[in-house]
Amino acid sequence: MSNKRRRSIFEIFEEYFENLEKWTERFREALIEKPSWDHRACTMEPLSNIMVTPTEVIVTSDLPYAEENTIHVKPVSEDTIEILAKMKRKIRLDDFGITHYKGGFQTLRCQIRIPVSVDIDKMEVRFKRGIFEIRLPRKQERDI
Amino acid sequence: MSKEVKIIERKDVPHDGIMLFGFPDVGLVGVIAASHLISEFKLTEVASMDSRLLPPLIVLHEGLPHSPVRIFGNHDILLAVSETAISSDTIYPIMHTLIDWGTSKNVKMMISMSGIPVQDRQDIEKLNVFAAASNPETLKVVQNKGIQVLKEGYMVGPQAIMMQYCASTKIPAITLLAQCFFNYPDPEAAAALLKELTRVLGIKVDVSKLLEKGEEIRLRARDVMKRTRQELSKMKKTQEYDIPLYVS
Repeated sequence: MSNKRRRSIFEIFEEYFENLEKWTERFREALIEKPSWDHRACTMEPLSNIMVTPTEVIVTSDLPYAEENTIHVKPVSEDTIEILAKMKRKIRLDDFGITHYKGGFQTLRCQIRIPVSVDIDKMEVRFKRGIFEIRLPRKQERDI
Repeated sequence: MSKEVKIIERKDVPHDGIMLFGFPDVGLVGVIAASHLISEFKLTEVASMDSRLLPPLIVLHEGLPHSPVRIFGNHDILLAVSETAISSDTIYPIMHTLIDWGTSKNVKMMISMSGIPVQDRQDIEKLNVFAAASNPETLKVVQNKGIQVLKEGYMVGPQAIMMQYCASTKIPAITLLAQCFFNYPDPEAAAALLKELTRVLGIKVDVSKLLEKGEEIRLRARDVMKRTRQELSKMKKTQEYDIPLYVS
């Protein structure tokens, strides 16, 4: 007779979700993990963040060394925007003591996917404390 | 001391000092402040951590390997700093081992340096620094120095474990928390924290270089901040925004 205890439905669910979480993490690391710089395009990827509120989407990005008058936002697809900014000076990897890779960077560039419909023509931007902020009003959903 | 975590001493370690902690957290406030203290006080590495609980990485300086978690010091300060985000499932043994080790060096007080995120950080000119302590006597010390007390709320991360462990083992401990960005390295917050630290310790720390190098620090710290964000999300750091349900 087998001594194997029958597992409850809750234990099976718990194991399923744990495995799903581990798989998602591996998938994320495999697809999203990449250097934060691209030496061919001479760009560095700044940190960015997105917050969705009931009325608007607020995107921010930390742009160290950015020249304010060169910061641009443009849509690159239906649901993705790109932030581009020239840096005040060229940054080389050897400025950070890195000598095993070569590269110099003078542009900050990142792409951000917007998860809801927004009216890009009505966006408002500001640059304060090195943080670039974009406010995109959400498109009105239909009333129920 | 945990069997899974070892502290390897490289030099004679001073006794009877103050032990500071700067671990990756919101705004990297503690790490940036720690890095500035190491450079300002010319602290040298006195010990390092060896553990299979740490990620499989070493930090290379001048071609030589170093642990990502190291302890720097001089005659009266010990400073534990991590160059990598500590995952939530390893924080307990790592912090407990560091505190036990500090206790073996007869450390008089432990001080954790970190941040408290605020949503309108971009618009704040003067950053507030808050404090919490492991016992009423130590809390009185920070109050007498004019530092605002973080009266109610949740604390998540290495400093939470430090406070809890120090409270249970009756070690005087303080956590200093500067208002900061959640997601972005915040050298200004680190400078604000160091100003308050000088009041607690009665020492002088010049933060002008830290502020001057703000842009360089923000650029250098991007990758550590990115990895720290992933760990903060796993440890549910946003719980610090929650309104506490504490019935007295």
